Amino acid sequence: MSRIRTTTLAAMAASGLVGSLAVLAAPSALAADTATVSVLHAVPGVPVDVYANGEELIPDFQPGTLTDPLELPAGSYDLAVYPAGSDPASTQPAASADDVAVPAGANATIVAHLTPEGTPVLTPFVNDTSAVPAGQARVTVRHTAAAPAVDVRAGGAVVAPGLTNPNEAALTVPAGTVSADVVLAGTSTVAIGPADLSLAEGTNTIVYAWGSGDAGYQLAVQTLSGLHSSPSGVPGGSAGQADDSLPTPLLALSGAGLVAAALAGRRLLASRV
Amino acid sequence: MRASAAVLVLGTVLAVGLPTAWVVTRPEPAAGAPVTAVLATTPATTPATAPPAAAAAPRVAAAPATPPPVTTPVPPVRLEVAGAGIDAPLDPVGVMPDGAMAIPEDVDRVGWYRFGAAPGAPGGTAVLAGHVDDAEQGLGVLAALRDVQPGAEVRVTAADGTATRWQVVGRELIEKQALPLDQLFQRAGPPRLVLVTCGGEFDPALRSYESNVVVVAEPLG
Repeated sequence: MSRIRTTTLAAMAASGLVGSLAVLAAPSALAADTATVSVLHAVPGVPVDVYANGEELIPDFQPGTLTDPLELPAGSYDLAVYPAGSDPASTQPAASADDVAVPAGANATIVAHLTPEGTPVLTPFVNDTSAVPAGQARVTVRHTAAAPAVDVRAGGAVVAPGLTNPNEAALTVPAGTVSADVVLAGTSTVAIGPADLSLAEGTNTIVYAWGSGDAGYQLAVQTLSGLHSSPSGVPGGSAGQADDSLPTPLLALSGAGLVAAALAGRRLLASRV
Repeated sequence: MRASAAVLVLGTVLAVGLPTAWVVTRPEPAAGAPVTAVLATTPATTPATAPPAAAAAPRVAAAPATPPPVTTPVPPVRLEVAGAGIDAPLDPVGVMPDGAMAIPEDVDRVGWYRFGAAPGAPGGTAVLAGHVDDAEQGLGVLAALRDVQPGAEVRVTAADGTATRWQVVGRELIEKQALPLDQLFQRAGPPRLVLVTCGGEFDPALRSYESNVVVVAEPLG
């Protein structure tokens, strides 16, 4: 953490992250003027204090921990992390990001992590909170480790090939438990895992690969729930044995009565003439 | 002349009386509170929503983001409805490729929608559904659902032997197109139990019933 880097809005816009944060926010707007923001500390080894607009947001934030979702007023935030306990007035931030747009209704995770070269950086990711079909789970994998491109595998099969820092891949899969690992892209050299991941139905399970070669690589998991859909119906029978229409014998008997009455009526009329 | 008059009267009575008597002696398609009304009631204890944050950002809790241990909930294994002759084993079920709820093939078994609430969970609606009949197997165990009356006691036993007791508060015959799926399968709100099978008129061409029989029950005791 001795190296200091300032991530500017321009730098993040160049990576497309800030831009997507603003664009993707609109459809999922639930609250009129707040956004849901979580913060993940994925820089190994160093506890930090997180500041937003000069105010301390998270004191003594430990590596590998994730905050509860925060409801923040929509707006623009200057974010900075400092080594825990240091005075922000006299200390350079370990990483910072100015003018991070947090639009109303957005759901985002801001990750303090290492670049592929090992420099601390703050990256905001937009979380997909759109509905997941019944029986399915969405899984999002994010590369936030000081490492080159990786392949993410589930059950031994590559599901996210060539993922680079700080990018993500998302897929929708049947809900269940998968054994996941991360390998160096194009190889079978395992960097992380395997780990059993529970992909609960109707959730977006976000998996972060983080760490460094020196400190070791790990997985962090963030789960967004409540994205489930209802089944499309309840099919409950196919034979008609519990049919609620008038049974055929009754229908026939009733029809016979009608015919008999009609014939008798005609004879009555005829006999009167 | 007299004979003709008698036949006329008899025939008319037969033609009109039979369907009328049939309709009158049918069990009521609905009893008790309407299902939608029961399921629409707001939770007794609304979870407190965090007040909007002030201009200054609030402090927050953080927890390790290590992959959580894989846990398996205790599934319900047996459904009994006192007085209705319903006593059926339960299977955890999900959804079929077409998106509809999966139902056990065996008409003597009932499916528990495993992605929703489990009976006995602190909140949400647990959904149990079974086939009303099958061409080869005959009537299913849930065919008796159409006669279940409000007040009837339902008992669901879990795999660990614990049981939950429920009281039926309403039964309704609802056209499949109008089935309030989002209400039936809601995972929030107070704990409720919903039993579903097919019913109403049968469409032989589609090999499908036009409606669902829906029974809703609330926790007892």
